[in-house]
Amino acid sequence: MTSPSTTTTATKPLQRLALHSTSTCASQAAAYGKCILATYTDVKKDACAEQFAEFGKCLRTAMKRKW
Amino acid sequence: MLSFHRHVLPRVLKSRSRPLASVADTVAPTPYLIFDRYAKVLQKDRSALPNRVENSRMVDYLRDEIADRLTERMLDIKRKFNTVLDLGSGPGHFAKLLETETTQKVVMFDSSRNLLHRDPDEEFKAEVERIVGDEENLLATIPRNSQEAVVSCLSLHWVNDLPGALTQIKEVLVPDGVFLGAMFGGDTLFELRTSLQLAEVEREGGISPHVSPMTDTRDVSNLLGRAGFTLLTVDIDEIKVNYPSMWELMEDLQAMGESNAIIGRRGYVHRDTLAAASAIYREMYGGEDGTIPATFQIIYMIGWKPSPNQPKSLERGSATKSLKDIL
Repeated sequence: MTSPSTTTTATKPLQRLALHSTSTCASQAAAYGKCILATYTDVKKDACAEQFAEFGKCLRTAMKRKW
Repeated sequence: MLSFHRHVLPRVLKSRSRPLASVADTVAPTPYLIFDRYAKVLQKDRSALPNRVENSRMVDYLRDEIADRLTERMLDIKRKFNTVLDLGSGPGHFAKLLETETTQKVVMFDSSRNLLHRDPDEEFKAEVERIVGDEENLLATIPRNSQEAVVSCLSLHWVNDLPGALTQIKEVLVPDGVFLGAMFGGDTLFELRTSLQLAEVEREGGISPHVSPMTDTRDVSNLLGRAGFTLLTVDIDEIKVNYPSMWELMEDLQAMGESNAIIGRRGYVHRDTLAAASAIYREMYGGEDGTIPATFQIIYMIGWKPSPNQPKSLERGSATKSLKDIL
């Protein structure tokens, strides 16, 4: 069930975001996911802001972009 | 260059299950408007543009599998059909499986012209006719009491007025005609739904609709009964597909023409929210092999248009032998 995008080089911004969020920044993503998992019955805005800051920083570095 | 708005849109998601709507008249304006049908046609048409046909064929796996399972149910009906109307046929996932021994001609009916004409006639065993039309307004195209069998394989989940659509299907059938359907419902894509909701709540502080409200499996037999079908058979099946990550799932859904078409959807999702959802999806549902599962729940339904010379179920309590003695 592999989509064509995974077999070719990621060129579109969204594909690059997909790549970086799943492989380049995998450990930060996991930390953020684990934080949500621990609180998912009562999630509030910025409940895992700390973990996401790390994840977001990694993504921005990898994407070489600011947003 | 896309602009990303930072304000939060606290939209409350509509109830997950579509409750029963009343059927006032078969062609009355629909009481429920959940889906943007125009956007849906555009999405389907785009998915089958000449430069995307290869992509579109690559994501046939899900529809082909479900069409195959629906055919098994059709084979239980020992009848020969002169024509079968395939409602929301797409490129003909179901129609291609019809053998000439049981079906002489299949009429494919879909709202997307591109998708309808994606595959050439040679791939079909039975004779093919194609009609571009609106599934929600079937009676505008198909005359009453004209069809021996109507089949709908995975198109009813984008219909706004499901009771109305089913009533129209019953109307176009001849007496003792059969309707076979398969539709997404129940817990379909619940992983994607919850991941996006959690990500939106945590990142932006509110939720907006991304995954359609699904028909509750328990409601389907009531809906069929209400539309006037008899001898109902409803069963549920589940298919789990594993994807490398949420991104591939969303890309495949788009290639299937199954992108979000809820009225009031957001035109964009912030990339932080998407990245967050992808991380949540993996942690909450991901398997040990690094893949993520996506659940598709399919409701199969069979109903017959009433006819005086049709076998009827016996009166409740009229049995003379106990089943317990036989078993």
